[in-house]
Amino acid sequence: MCKNASQWVRFGLFSFLAIAVSTPAMAGSNLNYRNHVAVARQVDQLIEQGIKEKGQSVAQAASDEDFLRRLTLDLVGRIPSVSEMTLYGLDPDPMKRDKQIRKLIASEDFAINWSAYWRDVLYSRATDSRAARLQSGTFENWLKENIEANKPWDEVATEMITASGDVREDGATALIFAHQGNPKEITSEVTRIFLGIQIQCANCHDHPTDTWTREQFHQMAAFFPRVAVRQKRGDSGPRIFEIVSIDKAKNSSGRDALNNPKRLVRTLDKNGDKKISRDEVQGKKQFARLFDRLLALGDKNGDKALSAEEIQAIPLPGGNRRATTEYYMPNLENPTAKGTLMQPAFFINKEKVAAGLKDVERRELLAKYVTDPDNPWFAKAFVNRIWSEMLGRGFYSPVDDMGPLRDPEHEQAIELLSEAFTKNGYDTKWLYRTIANTAAYQRSIKSPNNQTEIDEPIAFACATPTRLRSEQIFASLMELSGLEQEKNVPRGRGNRFQNNPKTQFTNLFNYDPSTPQDDIMGTIPQSLFMMNSNIIDKLISARGTGPLARIVKKYSDDTDAITELYLLVLSRDPSKKELAICSEYLEESSNRNEAFEDIMWSLVNSSEFISKR
Amino acid sequence: MNASWHEMVKMTRHGFNRRRFLHTVSAAGLAAGTLSFRDLVSLQAEELRKKHKAVIVLWMAGAPSQMETFDPKPKHENGGDTKAIKTNVPGIQIAEGWEQTAKVMQHCNIIRSMSHKEGNHRRATYQLHTGYLPAGSVKHPSLGSNITSEIADKKLEIPSIVTIGRGADGNGAGFLGVNYEPLLITKPGDIPENSAPRVTDSRYAKRLNLLGKLQEDFSDRGGKTVVQNQNAIYGKASRMVQSPNLQAFNTESEPESLKTRYGNTQFGKGCLLARRLVEHGVSYVEVVSNGWDTHDNVFDRVSTLASQVDPAMATLISDLNDRGMLDDTLVVWMGEFGRTPKVNGRGGRDHYPRAFNAMLAGGGTKGGQVIGSTTPDGTAIKDRPVTVTDLFQSICHSIKVDPEVTHMSPLGRPMKIVDGGEVIQELFS
Repeated sequence: MCKNASQWVRFGLFSFLAIAVSTPAMAGSNLNYRNHVAVARQVDQLIEQGIKEKGQSVAQAASDEDFLRRLTLDLVGRIPSVSEMTLYGLDPDPMKRDKQIRKLIASEDFAINWSAYWRDVLYSRATDSRAARLQSGTFENWLKENIEANKPWDEVATEMITASGDVREDGATALIFAHQGNPKEITSEVTRIFLGIQIQCANCHDHPTDTWTREQFHQMAAFFPRVAVRQKRGDSGPRIFEIVSIDKAKNSSGRDALNNPKRLVRTLDKNGDKKISRDEVQGKKQFARLFDRLLALGDKNGDKALSAEEIQAIPLPGGNRRATTEYYMPNLENPTAKGTLMQPAFFINKEKVAAGLKDVERRELLAKYVTDPDNPWFAKAFVNRIWSEMLGRGFYSPVDDMGPLRDPEHEQAIELLSEAFTKNGYDTKWLYRTIANTAAYQRSIKSPNNQTEIDEPIAFACATPTRLRSEQIFASLMELSGLEQEKNVPRGRGNRFQNNPKTQFTNLFNYDPSTPQDDIMGTIPQSLFMMNSNIIDKLISARGTGPLARIVKKYSDDTDAITELYLLVLSRDPSKKELAICSEYLEESSNRNEAFEDIMWSLVNSSEFISKR
Repeated sequence: MNASWHEMVKMTRHGFNRRRFLHTVSAAGLAAGTLSFRDLVSLQAEELRKKHKAVIVLWMAGAPSQMETFDPKPKHENGGDTKAIKTNVPGIQIAEGWEQTAKVMQHCNIIRSMSHKEGNHRRATYQLHTGYLPAGSVKHPSLGSNITSEIADKKLEIPSIVTIGRGADGNGAGFLGVNYEPLLITKPGDIPENSAPRVTDSRYAKRLNLLGKLQEDFSDRGGKTVVQNQNAIYGKASRMVQSPNLQAFNTESEPESLKTRYGNTQFGKGCLLARRLVEHGVSYVEVVSNGWDTHDNVFDRVSTLASQVDPAMATLISDLNDRGMLDDTLVVWMGEFGRTPKVNGRGGRDHYPRAFNAMLAGGGTKGGQVIGSTTPDGTAIKDRPVTVTDLFQSICHSIKVDPEVTHMSPLGRPMKIVDGGEVIQELFS
């Protein structure tokens, strides 16, 4: 560990060098798309041009200490350690920012951090709230491996759209499982997550603020009528669910038959009393098994037989979606009617799809359409989302409500970046590296422009401080506590892990990462946790073996100790003013240890600690 | 600063929140006498804050069996072993095991004809909390959060909506935001988790002061909005910590005899806490009772559960009445659906949303009546079906909240507090 923070003094010079080597952008036409620095410069030029046109200027580059903290939080989901800060500070390499970017992207923590991000994206909108509990660990592990292997984004999307099998074995099943295989919900989520488009408003009427029609929504849903979530039977252990394809309507038996009671009675009634009795179903193996249960539910007049009316009145668990292997657009005037048969079609390319395709064929076809390089929204959605997460502000906001009628900030810049991402074969690591290399990403949060309270600063003229995600806060607390964090996420195996401190903490601080930063507010229980919980109380204790105890013991000089504490908690040196406030607080206090606890309490409770700056 | 729990603090980066649909009555409108309907409703809500109306929901998680609660069928084989007992209202009989509730039946309105279509716990629980079916694209606010946003006392230093027990699906503020998120209490009787400072009051005050000073530099360096947001939330949190109202959560001072009547159970303690909270100005409390998913051994299991819920609920009703609070406090007993009339092979009952029951007491309702009925075998509704939205309309009517009030969902879709349904008139006339 370094003696103290004196190394940071040198940062001013290094960051100047780091920026100075950045060469001017190449011309758009002969841009080398593979070269992340060239693309970053080009994006910067487009953004800066836009800002200049509005008569504004851009903020200074962030200091090395701010940059390192921001980058470490974005890429590996925690604050930098004191030794990382020291090593970085001592590195004379003018290209050290890019070097650090590359190093962090290559680390295991990068994959862990971003798989947790996608877990929250996916399960925050789950219509089946059991899903996260039952399989989120499986999903995280699956995605982590894919990120580590740098699997292209189109392949990840394809696997998720076409997944089948045991939901605890295959994390790719997450999206379908989270929505119980419901075609409408899957349609909404596939478009929202992979295309950044909210088409589900068109569920009941043509989209009010977009060009999509109601018919287009239901055509897309017609890619999914044959996928289902089924509970495996005959297992005494925890419940096992699997994603299956149902390509044959079981019209002669089972519960599908119940959707047409009249026909059912006609087929099975042998003695012409317009009822089905126990004797009459003998030999219909599957239906016979079901019969007793149906009788218990539906036999109103107690004659031990079922009429068509009685069958009609039986409430079917989980609705009657599986009555057919085709998709019907509901009739809004008459919700009990069957609706209109829809053939699958994708609203972007509008190609005709053959009728009667099998489940796997339908979903593979849709995945192909969604990820097609000719579909601009696929690349844009990913670029906009990652950009927004890293810069605190998207080209489009909210990140999942783009579309042809939206008006993005710096449109040319996102067009260019998306095109480059597509040309790089949806190479996600390439994209992270490119974004982190832009001057837009590396700016200070201090706006150079005069702005009033209600004026939104011009997009990307300065960096935007954002609230950390729950796991970033947790990992940062772990980092400064000096404790090793358990990295391996347990695979989803039921709710055994509900009560560990990390789960409790992350549940308390969790938010849906698709929410615009404007709408993310802290909660009272979160503040109470930071102010008064046992965990924080222990963390800031000057006694025992905690981080503060080490600092107060090691540094008898108060200024050294304060500086070290600031480095540890806020990853920067204290300002002169802050140093003065802390020194004064120490002088006024009769108990040095207690005063240091109060200072550390204030730093951990500061908005800066739970923000990215 | 005079911010309190429910004040819509401008906590966004740019000083306003684009997502929320705010409605305020303009002073000019008042003076000129040009008030719109919506303005009048706002004013009325203001009036009600002073009168302090409240709702206490007793949530039977897992779905209670109607036959073993308030719709017994002793004469039919579907009724099983459950006997019916008389209540203090002639002609009304309820299931054995609910003897205390039988004694306060003059305040109770049993609805035996509840019906909906969701046989899945999660989806039905969501529906019975929000009035809507779950949709991935929007998180609906619960009825409780909606009601709280309408009638909560904005100066209250403790949260105006509290859930005692595990928060069920749909029990949250959804897109209304954190101001109306219920505070979860897992140990009724104690003050909320982390609300007691770990240091002396004076040192706590010193810490808050130091925190304020140390944030100034960051605010100047570009973190202004972040710091402001944090200050607003911390202001609320620390006011709650330091508020005498926090003692509403502490039931220690209640007389032993009363505690005994409520019952020394989680649920009994929860009901006592609910009364205290309402007394202190809280608008909406949900007390959760778990374990009603009785696929097997329904008779014994409900009997055990009733021994906890019956005394607690009956005592709550009479306690509210003794304090003159029952007229302004609506008590609602319900679960997500009912259970199959026919007893299954394991002596249990399965899911049955087609015909089930609920009960309301106080809140200006007539009391001493049964609304709707089921067929002798319990499989269908005989008369007066009641939907979830009918029930919600009636809850709103009871506490004078306009169910037509509309909030914008994040995607700009207007959503009413209750969409459809009609007030169950028999409750109030």
